[in-house]
Amino acid sequence: MTRSVKLAAQALAVGLVVGLLALLVWRVARDSNKGVSQALAQGEHPTAPAFDLGRLDGRGRIDLASIRGKKPIVLDFWASWCVPCIHESKRLEAARKEYGDRVAFIGVDTKDFSGDARQWQRKHGITYPSVHDGSGSVLSKWGGLPIPKIFFVDRSGKVIGELVVEEDLPRYLRQIAAS
Amino acid sequence: MRRLALIALAASLIVPVARASEQHPTSAELEGEVMCPVCGTTLDQSNSPAAQQIKRLIATRIAAGDTKSEIKSRLVAEYGDAILAAPEHKGFGLLAWWLPIAGILAAAAVVGVGAWRWSRAREREPEGPGLDPALEQRLDDELARWDT
Repeated sequence: MTRSVKLAAQALAVGLVVGLLALLVWRVARDSNKGVSQALAQGEHPTAPAFDLGRLDGRGRIDLASIRGKKPIVLDFWASWCVPCIHESKRLEAARKEYGDRVAFIGVDTKDFSGDARQWQRKHGITYPSVHDGSGSVLSKWGGLPIPKIFFVDRSGKVIGELVVEEDLPRYLRQIAAS
Repeated sequence: MRRLALIALAASLIVPVARASEQHPTSAELEGEVMCPVCGTTLDQSNSPAAQQIKRLIATRIAAGDTKSEIKSRLVAEYGDAILAAPEHKGFGLLAWWLPIAGILAAAAVVGVGAWRWSRAREREPEGPGLDPALEQRLDDELARWDT
C-alpha cells in the first residue's frame, strides 16, 4: 500500500468518526430543544410555533402563521384514544359559543387515525376545526405527551399560558380575548 | 454442486414462507413490527389506548384481506415513518439495512489485507548472519566431547 493511499484511508476513517460524532451532537441538541410547555414552566412566553397541516374535515389546511398575530388562539392537542380529551374538548366547544367571534379555536389531532378522529368529533359534538398531526411532530414542538394539552395565544402571537387546572380556561380566555 | 443444491433448497423453503407472510399477515407478526406512537415500544409490548386502537385497525385490515405492505403503508400515511419498528427496504431506509453490512465487509477486508501484508513481510524477512566458522567448529568439538 503506497503512502498516499494509506493517508487517504486514515483521513477517511477520521472523517467517518468525526461525522458520526457530529450526528450524535446534533441529535442530542435537537432532543434537548424545549417545547412551549417547558418554556412556560420557566416563566417564558414564547411565540407560538407555526405549523401548516391539513384539516381533518378535508376542507384545506390551517396555517397557524397566518392567524398568529391577528387573532387570539386556543390550541387544543387531542386524540380519539385520549379519554380525558373528551371532557376538555367539550369545555372548549362550550366556550366557543361565547368567545368564537373573537378567539380562534383550533384542535390538533395528534398521533391518531384521522378516520377515528373524525368519528370522535361527530360522537362528541366537537365542531371547531382540527388539523391532523399523525406523526406528532407539531405536538413535540409544543411540549410532547401527555395530552390533552391546551394553550392560549394572545393577539400578538405569544403563548401566555397552558391549561393546568379547570379555572385556567375562563381566566386565560378572558385574558386573550381582551388582548 | 452439493452446496448449491442446499442453497437452492433453503431458498425454495424461505420464499414461500415470506410470500405467505406478505399475503396473509398475522396480527402477532405485525404487532411486533409496528411501534406504539405514545410508548416507545412495539405494539405487542403495550396495552395503552393508542396501541389498542392500532391493534384494532390491524385486525380489521387483516380481516378485510389487506397485505402486510398495504397495512404498513396505511399506518405510515397516518403516523409517518416512525410508526415502523424497522426502516423499510426502499429509498433512504435501505441505508439502515446495508450500511452495517458494508461496514462489516469493509472491516473484514481491512483485517484480511493487514494479515496478508503481515505474513508477506515475515516471509521476506532476511536471515541473520551465519555463525563464525571458528565458533561453529568449536561448538562441534565441544558437543563431540560430551558424546564420548
